[in-house]
Order: sequence, then C-alpha cells, then structure tokens
Amino acid sequence: MTNPKIKKKDRALTVSWIVVAAVYAAVFAAEQVISPNSMLFTVLKKGATYALVAVSMNLLNGFTGIFSLGQAGFMLLGAYTYAIFTIPLEHRSSVYQYFNGGVVQFTLPWFLAMILAGLVAAFFAWLIGLPVLRLKSDYLAIATLGFAEIIRAILQWNQLGPVTNGSNMLRLFPNFNSFNILKADGSVAVYLSTTVPFLIAGVCIGLIVLLLHSGYGRAFKSIRDDEVAAEAMGVNLAHHKQLAFCISSFFAGVGGAMLAMYQTTVQAKSFTTAMTYEILLMVVIGGVGSVTGSVISSFLFVACSEWWLRFLDNEQFIGDFQVPLLRNGFRLVVFSIIIMVVVLFFRRGIMGTRELPDVIRALPGAVRSLPEKMRARRERRSASRKEAGR
Amino acid sequence: MSDKKPSSQTPVLEIEHLTMQFGGVIAVNDFSMHIDQGEIVALIGPNGAGKTTAFNCVTGVYEPTNGQVLFHGKAIARNHPTGKMKKLYAGLHADKYLADPVRLTPDRITQMGIARTFQNIRLFSGMTVFDNVMLAMHLRRKSNVFSQTLRLNAAEEKQMREKAEKLLKTVDLWEVRDEMATSLPYGRQRLLEISRALATEPTLLLLDEPAAGMNPQETEELSRFIKRIKGQFGLTVFVIEHHMQLVMGISDRIYCIDFGKLIAEGTPVQIQNNPAVIEAYLGGGEDE
Repeated sequence: MTNPKIKKKDRALTVSWIVVAAVYAAVFAAEQVISPNSMLFTVLKKGATYALVAVSMNLLNGFTGIFSLGQAGFMLLGAYTYAIFTIPLEHRSSVYQYFNGGVVQFTLPWFLAMILAGLVAAFFAWLIGLPVLRLKSDYLAIATLGFAEIIRAILQWNQLGPVTNGSNMLRLFPNFNSFNILKADGSVAVYLSTTVPFLIAGVCIGLIVLLLHSGYGRAFKSIRDDEVAAEAMGVNLAHHKQLAFCISSFFAGVGGAMLAMYQTTVQAKSFTTAMTYEILLMVVIGGVGSVTGSVISSFLFVACSEWWLRFLDNEQFIGDFQVPLLRNGFRLVVFSIIIMVVVLFFRRGIMGTRELPDVIRALPGAVRSLPEKMRARRERRSASRKEAGR
Repeated sequence: MSDKKPSSQTPVLEIEHLTMQFGGVIAVNDFSMHIDQGEIVALIGPNGAGKTTAFNCVTGVYEPTNGQVLFHGKAIARNHPTGKMKKLYAGLHADKYLADPVRLTPDRITQMGIARTFQNIRLFSGMTVFDNVMLAMHLRRKSNVFSQTLRLNAAEEKQMREKAEKLLKTVDLWEVRDEMATSLPYGRQRLLEISRALATEPTLLLLDEPAAGMNPQETEELSRFIKRIKGQFGLTVFVIEHHMQLVMGISDRIYCIDFGKLIAEGTPVQIQNNPAVIEAYLGGGEDE
C-alpha cells in the first residue's frame, strides 16, 4: 500500500518502540551506576508493579466498560499464591511457625509461581463472574468490592492457617533483589532488581495491548460503546464480559505477585479497598481508555506519594525561616489537592484515550502548524486593528 | 410443534401468531406474516403501532409472550404465556405453542444470518469506520483469544481486512475509513450502519426506519442503495418505514399494522387503495 497516512503511522510506531527501548536502557544503566538504596529504584519497582495493575484495571473499566472494584482482591490472591508456592523449604518451618511448617511442602520456581498466581486470580474471577457480571455499573462495583473484602477476611481465617499462615505474615520468598546476579564472593555483579520487574510488567502490558488491538479487543470496545448494538452484531455479551474479567484478573494476580516481591512480605490485611481506589485513581488520572496514560500516571502517582512530596512531612527551614504547616501527614493534604486539581481541570486524564504513537504522530504536525497559526493570528489582529481605525 | 424441514418453498422468515404483551398492554397482537426468498417486504403502521416491538421479537431483544418465529424453517423464538402472564394474558392461541420454548439471544440470531439496523443510529462511537465493520465480522472468526492476541491468525486477519475493504469500497465509505464513526454526516452514518449489518454476512436484513430524518433526495439514494445491495449480496430485506415514498418504491409486499393488529397486506398498489390503511393513517389523527 502506498497510502501516506499508513506510512506515517508506521513511523510513529517505530519511534514509540525506540522510546520504550530507551526507557529500558536508561533503567538498566541507572541501576548499574546509582546506589541501589536510592529512592529512585523504590519508585521504579513499585511504579512498574502498579502500572501493570492499573493497565489491567483499565482493560476492564476503560475498554470493556465493566466498572469493577475487585482489583485488590485479585492482587491479594496473586500475592498469596506466589508467596505460598515460593517460600524455600528450609524457611517454611520458621514462616509457618504456628502451623508446623504448613501443608505445602514443595517450591515452584518464581516464574511458574507467578503464572500460577495469575491463573488462581483468573479462576476466582471466573467463579464470581458467573453471578456478578449480570449486574450493571454501580451494582457490579459494589458486588466486586464485597468480593475483595470477603477474600481478605477468608485468607486471614485461622482454619486456613496451614496454607495461608492465618493472619501472620508470609515472608522469606524470593523478591526483586533475587534477580541480581551475584559474584562468587556475594557482592553484586549485575544489578537486575529493577530491570526484571520492568521486563515482567512490560511483557504483560504488551500482551494486553496486543489483545486490545485484536478482534477481541474490538469486541470489548463495542460492548463499552453500545451493549445493545454489540449484541445485535453477534458479540456474545456474557462470554466476552467473562473473558475480559478473567484476563484482567489474571494480570491483577501477576501484579499482586510482583507487589509481594516488592514488599518482600505479604499480609492480607494490607490489601484494602483503599488500594483499589488508588489504582482507580491512577486509571482516571492517566485517562480512562489509554494504556499509556495508566502507565505514566502510575509512575507519577507512586513518585509523588513515595518520594517527591516526602519533604512536606518534615520541618523545613529556608534560611532561619521555618516554613509553616509542614509536619507529619501534610503530604497527604497536598497530594489530595493535586488530585482534585487534576480531576477538575484534566477531566479526561493526562492522555484522554490517546496512546504513545498518537502523541508522536501529533508532535511534528503541531510544531509544523505553529508558524502558520501565529501568522494567521497576526493577520487577524492587524485586520481588526484596521477595522477599529476606520 | 416440530421445526419444519427447509425446502425451496420454505419462507425465509415466518412469524406465527406473535403476541407481545407488556403488563396489561398488548403491543403486538396475534401477528402473522411471512417473507419469501429474495423479497423486499415492508411493515408499516402509525406511530406506536408495534412495528419495532415485532422487530425486537424477531431479533431476540424481546421474548414474545406467545407465538413463534421461524427462520428458514428453524424456530428462533417460541413461547407461550407463563408465570404471571398466564393470568394476565389477553391474546389468542394461549395453548398453541406449549412445546419447548425457544429463547435465543440476539448474538445467536445474528450468527444464524439475521442482521439489523436501529431506529436511532447505534454505531460504536469510540471506534473508526473501519473498526465498526471489522467488529461485525468478529462473529465469523474461527480463531480464539490466544491465537488472536499472539497474532497467530494472520491469514484470517488479512482475509477479514480485505473483506472489510471490499465492503467499504462497495458502499463508498472507503475514503473515510479512519474517521471516527460518529463524526460522519447523518446520511453516511445510516449507510455505515447498514454496511456494518452486511458485514455479519446475513441472508435476511432487517432495517428499522432507515430513512428517518432523510430528505427526499437522500431517501431516493437510499432506495437505490437498498435495491443494489439486495441484488449484490443475495439478500432478503424486511423494512419498517414511515416514508411512503421509500416503501412504495422498493417493496414487493407490504404489511400494515395498527394497535398491534394486522389490518392489511398486499402489493403497494393494493395497500394504497385499502380503506383500512387510509383510515389508520388519516382517520386516527396520527402523523403522516
């Protein structure tokens, strides 16, 4: 095809690939150079984790139009599945100290455990999807929210202790630092503890993007746009909604496993509704219906809450002047205000429904048309001046 | 009530004693009709006569209260009054269709080969013209979600893109394929909606007021368009319409209903001279 429009599209795609590759290279390089204790890596690791979860939520809320708030529940299932199956045998007796070392007496490699984490989450999604997906909008949100709460309670139930360790912490499983390649003397040869989470999140998000651009992705979007028309065009609503729900939960489960790795310990108690709201916020700020937006806003959100606004929590001095109001907790006030401003003035989020290639495609055009726009404005202004002079 | 064996004489669509009752209101009352292969049949009637309700019973949006609908001799809807309707039912033939009710969802019926358009345009607003058509081909795919995500269905995808291209070129929408569907002018949105229905590869096309909001010239173009695609795609067409210009110009036969009941059927000339139809349109003080 010799269509110029399509050629331009391909170029934008290539540039997008280069941008993504550059980000990965920068992360890898930074990891080798900068001290591993830097806040930067905390943000990058947590950001990558949340990016995956936010995109999985966007798949459901933004692309299929199913308003579900069960994300924390599925992450919890993923995190526990991962932790339970990867704690090394020699540590099991100390982790499960109240339950005689637990019932699971084998260990899976982290990679398999992570996939299993996704599958478990997807299986539960399938189960609760059967009754719950018949509901619409708010009712569906409430039902999924309830599910997440129930899962959290059940996993802390003492009777399940031999598997879940009751309300006690799961720990000592391989975490992100296990990805570092060590020298013989125990010092680190190649740092990979940030690059590998980036790769995992990248592959998962890549799969979601591929899905969204396939026929099934189109079917999901058609359900979002008009359920009645979608059904009349032969889209089986029950089947496709169930599918979107399971796929989203699969990746939420994988994200949960990544969160477990990031935190190095897991406890059901921390997977609260507030976590789901945080993820929802990332989706909304990034733009409902934009994968790129979810990714960017996840990193911004994590950076703000963990790093950039931290100084607000301590007393600060400019010369001799003590800045008023700054004390523990003030960060959250400022953070809330920022979020309100974003929601009020960027109602469609940072990206709207645009993706990275769209932005790149828009760039040269906008720059090119800038002189023309300025000339047009100048002419308009001089014309109106003449008008006024007359 | 066994399904009839399809033969060359089997009508494409056969509606038998269809009754649709909402609470105490009978929207469609004991309505029977048939459409033969290759015909263009119109259903007319004043506002609120129950035309769209009859349509929705055929396409599976509503479950009829009583009666059955056969498509190429195969039941796609069959029901008798049950539950609360047992007492409330005010129509005829209450115990004629007791044998196993058939309830198919709209997507299954579309899969069998009935495609429809809507009275108020229902395009997918967040998708391009091209994607709207591609979506309608989704139901004929053989690949599953895994092979599609991993792009193992390249051959199928390519074939579909070519089909969509061919279809869009036939209906003159190829130039605007990358535009958002809802940014098209009204007339072209109608055209796109019909094209989208065609992309599901139907044998029977249901058009719900395709000329609504069109001026005489656009209506004229639409008449030609419907005739053209009917021949090109080997369709049978069932159309609901208010525009008498369109109806009289294209239909082989016309059914007229008023207050849910069939009041006349016949060729355009017969309908035009039927006193009952004139009464329904002029006497009742309805529009037109």
